[in-house]
Amino acid sequence: MKRLFLLVLTALILVPVARASEQHPSLTELEGEVMCPVCETTLDQSSSPAAQQIKRVIANRIAAGDTKTQIKDRLVAEYGNAILAAPPRKGFGLVAWWLPVIGILAAAVAVGVGAWRWARAREPAPVGPPLDPALERRLDDELRRFEG
Amino acid sequence: MAKPARLAAQGLAVALVAGLLALLVWRVVNDNGKGVAQKLDDGEHPTAPAFDLSRLDGRGHIDLASLRGRKPIVLDFWASWCVPCIQESKRLEAARKEYGDQIAFIGVDTKDFSGDARQWQKKHGITYPSVHDGNGSVLSDWGGLPIPRIFFVARSGKVVGQLVVEEDLPRYLRQIAAS
Repeated sequence: MKRLFLLVLTALILVPVARASEQHPSLTELEGEVMCPVCETTLDQSSSPAAQQIKRVIANRIAAGDTKTQIKDRLVAEYGNAILAAPPRKGFGLVAWWLPVIGILAAAVAVGVGAWRWARAREPAPVGPPLDPALERRLDDELRRFEG
Repeated sequence: MAKPARLAAQGLAVALVAGLLALLVWRVVNDNGKGVAQKLDDGEHPTAPAFDLSRLDGRGHIDLASLRGRKPIVLDFWASWCVPCIQESKRLEAARKEYGDQIAFIGVDTKDFSGDARQWQKKHGITYPSVHDGNGSVLSDWGGLPIPRIFFVARSGKVVGQLVVEEDLPRYLRQIAAS
């Protein structure tokens, strides 16, 4: 119950933060999410003229009141999807988001199946039906004679 | 694991490996890793890689292959953030006054913001048409960064050379104009 309460509380805190970030993005956060097209790093790690140009464009769009999605869409229209540091969460870009999750799940299933098979192999062999009393007596006699 | 399930899993694994191998082979066959600039350095004269891109001024598009056999081409890769591009494009603009009837001068604005690119052309008085290569894929085919890069394409579509020193500009222009 306590755990559920914490989960709901965290969601209540994070959702408005995410919405504010979408509606009023900052230059700093977008600099970390957009690539410099000539230096293969994010904008925040580059001071090249091409990066400066994109930073200026982003700052202008923020000042004009564009949302984060609008700014990113504009950049993608100019430079293609490679301008985004992370692939888009739609179309083929979803593969990049889901493949690691699917990989982890598949690995977990493989490990689980392997562990289950290994545990089964180590279980003691099932005990068979009780011996016939005559046969058991004979076996005891044989053992006594062997020990004696 | 039941035998059919095991066979299916093994088949899937083999198919996956075969698929990855096929992808690798396709990549090696279709990408020799060399742009036009590198081929020129190796003494080759490749056919100009085709492109069909929208013009910066919004007046349709330019299909490079459609010029093959019709006109020689000077291809200028530039961007508004590229400082050395200013002088190179201005030189080509001046050359266009002399060779504009015989040679097609085409700019390729690459990895650039189209709005800034249009302003840049206006500011520096560049009037020959340019196309927008926002993601730089055409630039990659021709040799990649750095820019400016200026190529000379003969009427046949073969790339004659790339401008390395300024003094070569008149020679290349004469050569392709006569092609």
